[in-house]
Amino acid sequence: MRFPWWLRNKREELDQELQSHLRMAASERMERGESAERAQHAARREFGNVALLQQVTRDQWGWRWLEELLQDLRYGARMLRKNPSFTLVAILTLALGIGATTTIFSWIRAVLLNPLPAVSDAKRVVALEELAPSSEWLPTSYPDFRDLRDNSKLLESMSVSYPMALAIGEDGHAERISGELVSGNYFDVLRVRPEAGRFFSGPERDDAQNAHAVAVISHSFWVTRYHSDPSIVGKTVRINRYPYTVIGVARDGFHGSLPGLDLQIWVPATMFSQLNAAGEWMLQDRKTRTFRVLARLTAGVEIEQARAEVESIAAHVAEENRSTNEGVSATVLPVSESHWGIQDSMRAPLSILMGASGVVLLIVCANIANLLLAHSTSRQKEFSVRVALGAPPSRLARQLLTETLLLALSGSLLGLLSTMWLGGSLRLLIPESAARNLLRPPVDSGVLLFTAALAAGVVVLAGIVPAMHGARGNVNHVLKEYGRDATGGTQSPRLRNGLVMAEMALAVIAIVGAGLFLKSFHLARTVHPGFEPEHVALARFSMSTAGYDARQADAFCRRLRERLESQPGVVSVSYADYVPLSVAAGSWEDLEIEGYVPGASENMKIYRSIVAPGYFSTLKIPLLKGRDFTIDDDISHAPAMIVNEEFVRRFLRGEYAIGRKVNGWGQWLTIVGVVQDAKYYRLTERPIPYFYIPMRQVYRPEFVFAFLVRTAGAVDQAVAALPREAQGVDPAVPAFSAMPLTEFIAASLFQQKIAANLMSILASVAVVLAAMGLYGVMAFAVTQRTREIGIRLAMGAQRNGVLWLVARQAMVLLLAGLVAGLLSAAALGRLVSSMLFSVSPSDATVYAFAAAATILVAVAATLVPAARAMRVDPLIALRYE
Amino acid sequence: MANRYQNRIELLQGTLDLLVLQTLQWGPQHGYGISQAIRANSGDILQVDTGSLYPALHRLERQKWIAADWKVSENKQRVRVYRLTAKGKKQLLSERSRWEQLSDAMAGVLSPAKRGQA
Repeated sequence: MRFPWWLRNKREELDQELQSHLRMAASERMERGESAERAQHAARREFGNVALLQQVTRDQWGWRWLEELLQDLRYGARMLRKNPSFTLVAILTLALGIGATTTIFSWIRAVLLNPLPAVSDAKRVVALEELAPSSEWLPTSYPDFRDLRDNSKLLESMSVSYPMALAIGEDGHAERISGELVSGNYFDVLRVRPEAGRFFSGPERDDAQNAHAVAVISHSFWVTRYHSDPSIVGKTVRINRYPYTVIGVARDGFHGSLPGLDLQIWVPATMFSQLNAAGEWMLQDRKTRTFRVLARLTAGVEIEQARAEVESIAAHVAEENRSTNEGVSATVLPVSESHWGIQDSMRAPLSILMGASGVVLLIVCANIANLLLAHSTSRQKEFSVRVALGAPPSRLARQLLTETLLLALSGSLLGLLSTMWLGGSLRLLIPESAARNLLRPPVDSGVLLFTAALAAGVVVLAGIVPAMHGARGNVNHVLKEYGRDATGGTQSPRLRNGLVMAEMALAVIAIVGAGLFLKSFHLARTVHPGFEPEHVALARFSMSTAGYDARQADAFCRRLRERLESQPGVVSVSYADYVPLSVAAGSWEDLEIEGYVPGASENMKIYRSIVAPGYFSTLKIPLLKGRDFTIDDDISHAPAMIVNEEFVRRFLRGEYAIGRKVNGWGQWLTIVGVVQDAKYYRLTERPIPYFYIPMRQVYRPEFVFAFLVRTAGAVDQAVAALPREAQGVDPAVPAFSAMPLTEFIAASLFQQKIAANLMSILASVAVVLAAMGLYGVMAFAVTQRTREIGIRLAMGAQRNGVLWLVARQAMVLLLAGLVAGLLSAAALGRLVSSMLFSVSPSDATVYAFAAAATILVAVAATLVPAARAMRVDPLIALRYE
Repeated sequence: MANRYQNRIELLQGTLDLLVLQTLQWGPQHGYGISQAIRANSGDILQVDTGSLYPALHRLERQKWIAADWKVSENKQRVRVYRLTAKGKKQLLSERSRWEQLSDAMAGVLSPAKRGQA
């Protein structure tokens, strides 16, 4: 670390200037007849202290702070180089703490804080959501959207989007990518500019259906699939087998309107029925609630004002359309609070991980403060000499802070590197099936700023105490003891003990947290799902990307079923639009149940799946009463449904259910069977009312079918058979996520599993770091007391007594830290209680385990220094003097 | 020796700047020359301490009242020569008038006391 060249030049010039002054003064004296030697001597005497003069003159330049900073840096770097093991430990642990915290921050930023990157003025973009009478959120129908759009004045523009998977490319080479069907003004609302070509314009923006087969692709898709070929604009590609013209490429960094997800293609929403092989009625039906609504606030309008306006428009719409919209309201939310996308489910786990990595970083800081304190104790001599030579204490403090700064900077740099490397691991938090389109959080200016703030925080937290302590260096006290081992005064042990206690407490908090999540996870795993997932293979097929209509889809499914049933070992085959315990959101229907009067705000949206015959036997869900669906339950027969036990309990007062009538989809269905309750969304859920309807009576083209194959043989063979047989039926219908059902539903416990695993890792790191801190303090104490121990031994003390001497100090620290940690953990536990399954946040076994683990580690950390104390040879110890 | 010491007057705070600027009005000069000129022009009464002169020169330079260049002197030495800038000339005028005000005021206060002693 050298002075910048201009400052070096200036210093040299000053030196020359003063030298020339001296020469002139001397030569004038020589002219008056003095001898050369006398003249030079006299001139120098008259001149005074050259070094001091130089210093005072340099102060006039106004660069003193820089000179001192550079000096401090140079000196600090030298100190760190001289203690490589200390420096290495400090930098590595800092890199660990800062890397973990920064990585989790980059996730939080991508998912929650900056959900719409590359969108101009993103803070003014809001999500509009409709609300059911039960105040649950609802997707918006296209007619509702039109009414809201045409009547709002406080929202300057409003667009819809509908995320869906699309097959792009020719048959056999089609790639399944995620995109959005959007209204023509979508890019205006988001104020995104095209990278190439153009966005939707002119008639492409009106409401006419299936008229404009055009598409905009993302920058990353353009680069990876088309190798940034500019001539792609104007070319035709096949989407779900239909030809579409690519009109533009969105700018780099724009990844659609779903926080945390990377969407790659945008098509006009008016193409909905073509791409979904559905009727045009879907965009004209108020009950077909499909879309997400995004809007931009008019300049100067607050979100509350817009919310009030939207509420009144929605009330008006509800009044005009009682049959469909009775009681439906609407609200306006910041995008990060909207219910679409992953942010809703990620908020809690991410904040808890952030908390845990913060605890680790705090322990790292305490450790470094401790090391620096120990260090500054052994540097007392150096400091005292510097004070004696005229360095102001503030300069010493600054020196120590600069050393911490160097450590923090190196640690942050390493931490940032690890963040770049770990950034993509956000996908580990999300089950594979949902993580396909996950965004890789960028390390951008916001993340860099956060890391800089962390580094500054580390300097303050880890550096202030040692700096203040070092600055108190008492000249007389230490110089008097010169030559003896400096004891460093009485302040230091108390401070260091306090820091170790804090570390112990933080480690206890971390273990309690990890323990709670681990126990919760293991309990959740033992819950029976209500069906038998073993020996079942699964694969999913998207009917809409194949461009099928209802009849074609039915034919495909029946043929595939026949082929699979003839495979060796296969026991039964069925298919459904929803697999229980998948992470995907389920579907529901508003039901009216004969003989049941719902409460005023009772939610009558009941979750359901659409299943083929043989579904219950394939999954081994016991059929309690009535019959299964048959191949004859089609549109030419009376609509049928099968309900679960909870449905019967809740709506039919547990009475005989078969033959009862239920209204849904605008028709009356008859209950033909009752099955046992199962877990549908989470293993941890309470029983919910649920019903099934036959596939051949309600076909919706956007369905993704899951084929389920129960086999007596190896499940892997069945997994392999699924895509192979599908190819044989129609090569254009690709199978995706073919896997054993056990693997597929493992996703339902994924969050608990990840929370438990990550928390365990962070807690182990915390414990190891705290143990390092305790070890450091104990080892240092033993070294300092070597002489005392030697005297005690020489006077006849028992070696066990010496052990007790050391152990007592460690025990006090440990117990104090333990109590503080357990108490704070109990206070903090309430924050995570909502994420725990059948574990109380004050679970006694978890706390006992945390205490035991901490004690064990602490004893191990004390054992080595204590053993060394016992082995002290009195002769050597006293001679050491 | 003692006599000479008594005749020397400690420079008042702020007056050194004025002396330097005034000296440079007669032409560019190096640091040693400036100190000699002040001594000569004050009849050996004002002695400028080098410890004050150089910090003052560098301060005035930073304020852009004077500027410095390296030149070669008559006896072939590289010397740093200071000259007055336009800004410095203005400053000199205002400092002079401030000084004259001060010395008038001092004289006004001191004169009656002199009369009383007489």
